[in-house]
Amino acid sequence: MDFTFLCQTPPPKNGRKVAIIGAGPSGLAATGYLACMGYQVEVYDKLPKAGGLMVFGIPGHRIPGSNIEEAVKKLESDYGVDFKLCTKICGSEPMHQEAGDEYAYNYKSLGGRVQDNDAVLICTGTWKSRRLNIPGTDLTGVYSGLEFLFPVRAAQYDIARVNVPEIKGKKVAVIGAGFTAVDVIHSSMAEGAREVYHIYRRTRNEAPCGTLEIDLLEKSGAKCMELVSPVRIFGRERVEGIELARCRLTEPDESGRCSPLVCDGELFRLDVDLVVTAIGEIATPPFAHDLGLEHVRKGQVRWLHMTSMDSVFVAGDALTGPSRIGNAVYSGLKAAKSLDQWLSLKSQNRLDEYKDEIILKEDLR
Amino acid sequence: MKTLYLDYSKCIGCGTCEAVCRFVYQVPRIIMTRTSYGLHVPLYCQHCENPKCVKVCKEKAIFKDDLGIVRLNEEVCRGCKTKNCILACPYVAIICTGRDNPVAKCDMCVSRAGLGPACAAMCPCDALIIGDSRELQKNQSPAAREAHERVRKYIICPECPSPGSW
Repeated sequence: MDFTFLCQTPPPKNGRKVAIIGAGPSGLAATGYLACMGYQVEVYDKLPKAGGLMVFGIPGHRIPGSNIEEAVKKLESDYGVDFKLCTKICGSEPMHQEAGDEYAYNYKSLGGRVQDNDAVLICTGTWKSRRLNIPGTDLTGVYSGLEFLFPVRAAQYDIARVNVPEIKGKKVAVIGAGFTAVDVIHSSMAEGAREVYHIYRRTRNEAPCGTLEIDLLEKSGAKCMELVSPVRIFGRERVEGIELARCRLTEPDESGRCSPLVCDGELFRLDVDLVVTAIGEIATPPFAHDLGLEHVRKGQVRWLHMTSMDSVFVAGDALTGPSRIGNAVYSGLKAAKSLDQWLSLKSQNRLDEYKDEIILKEDLR
Repeated sequence: MKTLYLDYSKCIGCGTCEAVCRFVYQVPRIIMTRTSYGLHVPLYCQHCENPKCVKVCKEKAIFKDDLGIVRLNEEVCRGCKTKNCILACPYVAIICTGRDNPVAKCDMCVSRAGLGPACAAMCPCDALIIGDSRELQKNQSPAAREAHERVRKYIICPECPSPGSW
């Protein structure tokens, strides 16, 4: 991977400084673009390594960690990008807790970044997981996909700081059928789980990860249960079991909309020690209110990708919600380009001339 | 001959190739798709040895250059209504743009003055590689060959080379 795909060699510095918050795919893509334009870039991340969920979420057999590491090293040594890791940026709002916070031992303010730099780009991604709305989700032993995958991967870097779930010899139930669920199941088996149940309320034909992945899971020993939906999680303090209901797909309705799901079948219980709900993530932009992100999402902006704070831009999953790496990269590149245009025009006092044109011409995502 | 080679066993369908191509050219020339079975198949030009698109283009707007890259000369393309090139390509690699330039295709980024294909540079899995087609196919890993065979079933082109024939 090479984030500086837009230039052959480092260009002369243009004298401008930009801070990027979040070293995931969108942040690093933007870093590459701006480094190629001659900017002095500093990148902040709460984690001890750059790469975001490419390193800490997606397992190494999908994206080799060394690929990201080399790409980051190139940015650092050849392009003089300054990586400030283990550093979390805070706004005026109270912070919420999210996976990975235990790594950050430096805290800096957003206001300080804005003062010290010509512009700031926020690419903080999606770190909050959607939760099941059933009784028992607050028991010990219930994890979201990210809460489960993150420590397993992060433990390779700094074991003292994270609580790795005890997986060896345990029975694990994984709910959901996206790639996060698939990765959780593979990791559980690699960590020596005794039994891994894959629970999905539809059939493998509807699974977002595709039938191939489910076939592979079965081949590697997971027990795939289709058309079952969790009703409650049992246990006194820890998870002891999970109650499931049989579901059925009904015929498509007149409009042809795909089979609605009815879960009124028999109830049955499965004894498990861990429950992982891999049912999606929610964007967690810090300082969402300060920045007026709602307006940015709706397209009510003064400049493409710019928030309500002057010279503060936003990109990636933090803006659009959870998505693929590709979309994050595109968003990061576009925001970086917009930021570059904004600073260039501002320095010539010609912002007003192009304002409407740029916003009208481009779609906001 | 130089080609853009894809190791299907490494591709995770993240769509970075398409995103980068879209950023550079506005209309992407590599498009990530997924079969219902769950195979990730980016559609892009394979720079065939005997390109069908070159054969069917009456204006000779599509040609194979000295390096073996199949290119489109936009000056000559008159945007004919039949768009035989789109129909001829078994890899769905000629893209109808809906803009002033009626079709677009991968030219391995020759216009980027020596920087090489942007998609390959940014692929996080090292699945997209630039190299000599024969060399790459000779060194194909068993996993890559198996994955390629699975993808090949979706490509309707009896005379196109299949993974076993190299």
